[in-house]
Amino acid sequence: MAANSLQTKVDRAVNTDKGFAHPLWAARADKLQSLSGVLLGLFLVMHLHFESSILFGKEAFYQVAQFLEGGIFSETGHGYPLVTKIFSCFMLLILLIHAVFALRRFPTQLGQWRALRNQMRFLPHEDTKIWFWQMITGFLLFFLVPTHLFTMITNPEIGPHLSAERVYHLNAWALYILLLPVVAVHAVFGLYRVVVKWGLVEQRFAMLKFAKVLLVYLMVLGVASLLTYIFIGRSLALPVVPYVSML
Amino acid sequence: MSQARTLTFSIFRYDPQESGDKPKMVTYSLTEAPGMTVFIALNQLRETQDPSLQFDFVCRAGICGSCAMVINGFPTLACRTLTANYPDGHIKLMPLPGFDLIGDLSVNTGKFMRELSERLSLWLHPNSADNDIHRIEAPMSPEEATKLYELERCVECGVCVSACATKQMRDTFVGAVGMMKIARFELDSRDTRTADDFYHVIGNQDGVFGCMTLLGCQDTCPKDLPHMQQIAYLRRKMASV
Repeated sequence: MAANSLQTKVDRAVNTDKGFAHPLWAARADKLQSLSGVLLGLFLVMHLHFESSILFGKEAFYQVAQFLEGGIFSETGHGYPLVTKIFSCFMLLILLIHAVFALRRFPTQLGQWRALRNQMRFLPHEDTKIWFWQMITGFLLFFLVPTHLFTMITNPEIGPHLSAERVYHLNAWALYILLLPVVAVHAVFGLYRVVVKWGLVEQRFAMLKFAKVLLVYLMVLGVASLLTYIFIGRSLALPVVPYVSML
Repeated sequence: MSQARTLTFSIFRYDPQESGDKPKMVTYSLTEAPGMTVFIALNQLRETQDPSLQFDFVCRAGICGSCAMVINGFPTLACRTLTANYPDGHIKLMPLPGFDLIGDLSVNTGKFMRELSERLSLWLHPNSADNDIHRIEAPMSPEEATKLYELERCVECGVCVSACATKQMRDTFVGAVGMMKIARFELDSRDTRTADDFYHVIGNQDGVFGCMTLLGCQDTCPKDLPHMQQIAYLRRKMASV
């Protein structure tokens, strides 16, 4: 017993490092990084599908937006933009958690960066390259995603005309054209890497091929809907009047 | 009969023991023989062209793990690499990165492996109270023995360490070889260490939670060991402690 308590004291004296260097946080950090990443990745896949309902026409997008804003709970059938606001805040929180834990993977010293670049030149290897781009896109998303989320928090109105106005007249297309490829690459390869990392799938190369197909599909979907919003935006006269349902 | 090819070897040369020596690439030509491996070619070069050429070998059959080097940008065993694999006949040889250089293509993997073994206690920890040597040992199930043998196939060649960008960025990272050996003792029913004990050794940024799943180890291991599955197994195990 005495020996045990002495050992505990010694351990406490030795383990003085704060933060994520503590062994308990090592496991937690890895789990939280993966979990928040999966949430963000799956959210992105759904998000791109919901917003691309514009490809089926204004009415389809209007109905999807009203439904997601909780239209079935209102007497008029209109949703509440506040839902978008609250949800954006929630996603910002998940994003922060993900960023905090993913940041510990970044090379913090110039020496580490050089070692990484050297290694990549010396031994070209696909998964190392994928991680490298994961890191670069992650860094860019650190700036791009909060910009997108802040516009959704401050100005949460979504609709066929209102969104098209944001994209075309308020120049959000410039943000989206950068955000789309960066976030798609990060999310798709991130999901692939989580699956491999925790050993959820044995067929790694099949998974990698699937990830690449998914990436192309999401890019086509995203670009097509972005173009649609730009075309709708061009056809709208200012000031923009919200879309009224035909049903 | 077709004419035998002439191979061109571009080999990293540097002897740290020799004062004033600078790292350089030296080119050698050699006539290819049927079934020639890079290891055979290196021996011929040393015998016939340059006796000062340094490289390691013992078994010439992929068992000792001594002759690991970087062949045309891919770390692997020289004795298991056929020169016929390179259609243009150009072969570039570099020493494994991430280890102390002894000279030319020879690196000190032994020093690294010994330090790793001491740091992670990579030996069997049986029940010390049970030291009656007259007692008949408990039999091990064939399934368990098969699992252990699978991981025991590691020849400590160091290829996984040199192919790991995480290891290059973080010198204290244990690498796939360390985790493979930990997994081997974790699976062994004779070892008394618990998951908690292993957590103290590899449940940190230098161990399983420092691995970024770059999979260089998985893609280069000359013994085709299941690094990806093994590290994922350890990660799940350690995350649930």
